[in-house]
Amino acid sequence: MTEANLLQKYASEVFAGLVAPVAEGLQVSAAPAADPLVKEDVLVRMERELKHALEKPASERRWVMVIDLRRCVGCHACTVACVAENKLPPGVVYRPVMTEEVGTYPNVTMKFLPRPCMQCENAPCTPVCPVTATYHNEEGIVVVDYEQCIGCRACMAACPYGARTFDFGYHYTEGLPVFDGAVIGGKTAAEYEHISQEYGQAWERQGRHESPIGNVRKCHFCLHRIKDGVLPACTTTCIGRATYFGDANDPDSLVTELINKPNVIRLKEELGTEPRVYYIV
Amino acid sequence: MIKKISYAIGALTLAFGLWGVYVRLFEGEQSANYGSYIIWGLWVAMYLFLAGLAAGAYMLAAFDYLFNVPQFKGTGKTMLWAALVTLPAGLASIGMDLGHMERIWKVYLEPNFTSFLTLMVWGYTLFLILIVISLYLAFKAPEKAAMKAVMWIGFVVAILVAGGVGFLLGGNAARLYWHVGLFPVQFPVFAIASGAGLMLMLVGWFMPDMDKTQRSNLLWLLAIISIATSAAKLYFVVADFTQSLYGGVTDNLIAVNYVLNGPQAFTFWGVQIVLGLLIPVIVLAQPKLAKNGFVAGLMGLFLLIGYAAGRLLIVVPGQVAEMMPGQAAAFTGPKLDITYTPSLMEWSVTSAVIGFSILAILIGMDRIVRFKEVKK
Ligand code: SF4
Ligand code: SF4
Repeated sequence: MTEANLLQKYASEVFAGLVAPVAEGLQVSAAPAADPLVKEDVLVRMERELKHALEKPASERRWVMVIDLRRCVGCHACTVACVAENKLPPGVVYRPVMTEEVGTYPNVTMKFLPRPCMQCENAPCTPVCPVTATYHNEEGIVVVDYEQCIGCRACMAACPYGARTFDFGYHYTEGLPVFDGAVIGGKTAAEYEHISQEYGQAWERQGRHESPIGNVRKCHFCLHRIKDGVLPACTTTCIGRATYFGDANDPDSLVTELINKPNVIRLKEELGTEPRVYYIV
Repeated sequence: MIKKISYAIGALTLAFGLWGVYVRLFEGEQSANYGSYIIWGLWVAMYLFLAGLAAGAYMLAAFDYLFNVPQFKGTGKTMLWAALVTLPAGLASIGMDLGHMERIWKVYLEPNFTSFLTLMVWGYTLFLILIVISLYLAFKAPEKAAMKAVMWIGFVVAILVAGGVGFLLGGNAARLYWHVGLFPVQFPVFAIASGAGLMLMLVGWFMPDMDKTQRSNLLWLLAIISIATSAAKLYFVVADFTQSLYGGVTDNLIAVNYVLNGPQAFTFWGVQIVLGLLIPVIVLAQPKLAKNGFVAGLMGLFLLIGYAAGRLLIVVPGQVAEMMPGQAAAFTGPKLDITYTPSLMEWSVTSAVIGFSILAILIGMDRIVRFKEVKK
């Protein structure tokens, strides 16, 4: 008897609805049958929709991120995944998760707020750049051209979300012991740390002045992954399935479905920034 | 005697400053204390101060060349020279703040004109050129129409660049402490106030050859200008702060409290208000003291220190409220703090900028724009 058969045989009526999809190899979620997410794991669905969106011309895609605050458990996995994916040095962070403690003892609880770059459609950070080093690319994502940026930080002052950090040239591997000839130790780790594929390009970050050192850095929705049909690192890593990503111009996509509901907010909307990151509350 | 001491102070501050300049240029920005949340610090404040000083000095030169105020007769060249020194000093201060200062040419060749920073860089370049032309004409043809025309253009540009600095900060809608409609109006007042402070020092300490009556009349006039602008500045501060406190918007409260009773309280109460405002205003209100060269010069120095502190207290508090509450605690690492005290390296670079300015102004006054020559 296979494990699935065993489960089916012994599961009670109550559990049947939960385990049946697992048995059929379709679903990990314990959501009720009416939930649209039941049919397929959201990651699989989003990846399929991503590939579909990539078939369209770039200007017709509207990438958005949706974060379900009810599902976020504050594990910071997305923050760390982003650091690893983009080889972010110490002091540079693209997606911190803010923690807020609410209530008074014993009625206390925690709230978590992951904050990527909002990829504002009406971004205050781009017009202030004196050399057009930060701008919307053809897909509407706000990028930074490290070779163009003069490091004036005007964009950081302008961003209402604190979504930009400055690369001061630190390295996690600085000062680690080196074991020559071995595949462990400072040298190997440093080599790994220096291979970044941000914006689809290798950034070595050597010395004290080589870009992106001396530049402003920010979340770019993992453009280099999207281009290859892979979801952003924070999205695939989220253990709570709280982060969704996709093309809001596709009427059938998961993100469109989610942001069309009334329980959706955007941060600091009163500033007119038109963020592309939505929060389900 | 004062001149010798000033030369010595200039040389010492420049010498101490060279260390910081070396560290900044060759080792980068790690030893600075500004970071990703307090983005702009001492150097930006000094840029605001020195660029404002240059604009103010130019405006006061116009009192001689444009408005023919008798007390200012013959001082125009000195003030133009002071502008020519303090403007590049201010630009050097902001230049040190750039992560890639070697790319500054891009602002000229690949500019983005929706950026206020671009407009400021271009504006300052124009202003610098106008100062050079004005100074040239001041030597060659001070009475000619060309001089008047250039001075008029320069006067207007000085007001605009001074106001533009206010916009540079005030244009950031996300930073409530800066986003004050009157910022671009306040800054030209700050500029002329600091110009008067500098002139008190220069006339009081370094222009002994001036006619006695003219000198004491000029010092008295500068004292009146200083008192008037100090009163205006105090009014701006009180208005800004009471409005913020009364309105009670969180970010504003954080910023104002940071100034009034936070870690910068001494800089505000002690340096900006008592040393930089109350003492000079009380002293300069006494005609006898105001007309005494040494006292007037000293009060000019106090005023300048107060204005510089005031710039720091505009730049830093605008950034102490986290853009996203809890941000600094969410992810830790170097330069992810919301506190700021300038590092030794930052002070050192500022010391270089100040030392350079002192020496360049003094050397210029001794060798290039000697007051005696002007009188002839
Ligand atoms: S969140 Fe900040 S950095 Fe991102 S697009 Fe908006 S203003 Fe720019
Ligand atoms: S720091 Fe770089 S990207 Fe930001 S405004 Fe300055 S030049 Fe542009």
